[in-house]
Amino acid sequence: MSTALSTPAAARRPRLRLSSAWLAAPAVVGVIVLFLAPVATFLLYSALTGTLYSFSADVPFTFENLSNLVANATSRALARNSLIVGTLASASALVIGIPVAYWLRYHAGRLQKVVLVLVVLTFFSSYLVRIYAWRTILGQNGVLNDTLQRIGLIDEPLQILLYSRFAVVVSLVHIITPIVVLILFAGLRPLEPRYLECAKDLGAGPLMRWRRVLLPLIAVPIASAGMLAFVMASADYVTPQMLGGPGQAMVGVEIQTQLKSLGNYPAGAALAVMALAAYAVLYSLIALGLRLLRLNKIEWGT
Amino acid sequence: MTALRRHLPHVSGVWTAGVLLFLLLPLATVVLFSFHASQGLTLPFEGFSLRWYETVLADAELKAAARNSLIVSLCVTITTFVLGTATAYGLSRARVRGRAVIVPILLTPLAVPGLFIGASLLASYDRVGLELSLLTVGLAQFVFVFPLFFVMAQIAFQRLDPAIEEAASDLGASPWQTFRRVTFQQVSPVLIGASALVFMVSFDEFLMTNFVVGVDQTVPTLVFQRIRRTVDPTSNVISSLLLTITVLVSLAALAGALLAARRRGRSLDAVQGLG
Repeated sequence: MSTALSTPAAARRPRLRLSSAWLAAPAVVGVIVLFLAPVATFLLYSALTGTLYSFSADVPFTFENLSNLVANATSRALARNSLIVGTLASASALVIGIPVAYWLRYHAGRLQKVVLVLVVLTFFSSYLVRIYAWRTILGQNGVLNDTLQRIGLIDEPLQILLYSRFAVVVSLVHIITPIVVLILFAGLRPLEPRYLECAKDLGAGPLMRWRRVLLPLIAVPIASAGMLAFVMASADYVTPQMLGGPGQAMVGVEIQTQLKSLGNYPAGAALAVMALAAYAVLYSLIALGLRLLRLNKIEWGT
Repeated sequence: MTALRRHLPHVSGVWTAGVLLFLLLPLATVVLFSFHASQGLTLPFEGFSLRWYETVLADAELKAAARNSLIVSLCVTITTFVLGTATAYGLSRARVRGRAVIVPILLTPLAVPGLFIGASLLASYDRVGLELSLLTVGLAQFVFVFPLFFVMAQIAFQRLDPAIEEAASDLGASPWQTFRRVTFQQVSPVLIGASALVFMVSFDEFLMTNFVVGVDQTVPTLVFQRIRRTVDPTSNVISSLLLTITVLVSLAALAGALLAARRRGRSLDAVQGLG
């Protein structure tokens, strides 16, 4: 203790700093061994030879898995379904979420905390429970069909509600909307109400205020929320199984089947490589678009 | 006109109310039918009963899954708490260049959807001959939740005023004492909240866990097997219990964080009182 006290502070601190980065070592090793190495291995699997039910993969290296995918009509259908569902779900979640985030930021007043807590709670409520909920609501004798019949809007139960693309998209929108709202709300935070008042005083109507002030300022949060929503929705493999119709399987379903049931790891890995490549392309396109529109580096001012 | 306008809710408020209904009504329906007196999940509601709760509470398979989930989530949360706190603290004191290399590595799992992590881990565990069990579930979930905890802990540590720590060490506190009594005290509300989040994410994780789960099921993987086959009131009961856990853990985390923040406020007052 007395030696510590007699050492000048300036001499003590650098020693602490040098050693402190080592505290991160276990976590870094953990992430490399438990995550990066497995992901790299799996991506490598896409270039190995595998057979049905072998539950492994081996040399020789081959491009057959990847070229099979491109040539194969089934895999094109999987990609198309994922693209359609991902686009519909993420676009709907944005359309639904933007006004909510706006209200929370500028009009909620005392209700802000309550509504935020409700949104966070739905965000954390079990993923499977939410899918199950839609299954009970949209079923042939489900709550929705029953109610519609009772009011007399329809005579026969609607068949397209469950086991359809509609059901898949609705439940995915239900799953991703809370996180979209939270990201957009966080994005609106730096934009003080006085910016909007300023625009209003200068004669900008509501439309003008959205187009010239709000949307440019939250373009980046909108893009990131949209990207996240798209990835979550298009990579989902539970909703197509539980709520989707025949022939509407998505990429994730096939990856799961190849890995868990058919044991053809290289085929599953090839699909994953394709999907991740598609996400990378989409991400670059969005980043490029924001840059071209000069929306990527908007200053908030103070 | 303006007075009238002030009393009318904004159009985005009406929209928000509709969205909240869309978000909450399905969950409310699930809970409502968990109390249904009859087997059917259709209206009209035929009276309240706790019979499905009795069935579920006597379900041995579910009890085993709940125990497994609890063990895994607690282990994952404790490991993440220890490693995440050490990492965030260490890096917040490290030189900038080291941080710029290490932080992106630690955050990579956030950029990869659970499906791909699960598939990768399954193939790799297989390659090294690691048999699927609760251990593989725990390892997989650790990878998945660590970045979440780390991000929050890092923000908390970076916000700290270094002057307070310097004051502590100038007053003769050892580095460990400084960390425990001063640094940790200040960040504990955030760490508690982050731990609760980690616990909930781990307890509920399905998309990745489904790949690496062995014979011993967790609650979500068991629920998936059940609801895949059929729709019946016991699934509503399990769902309602899961929703209750979500609400309780969130509220507990909030209360814990508030309590820690109040204690922290007191200890800071004490320090300031001394000065």
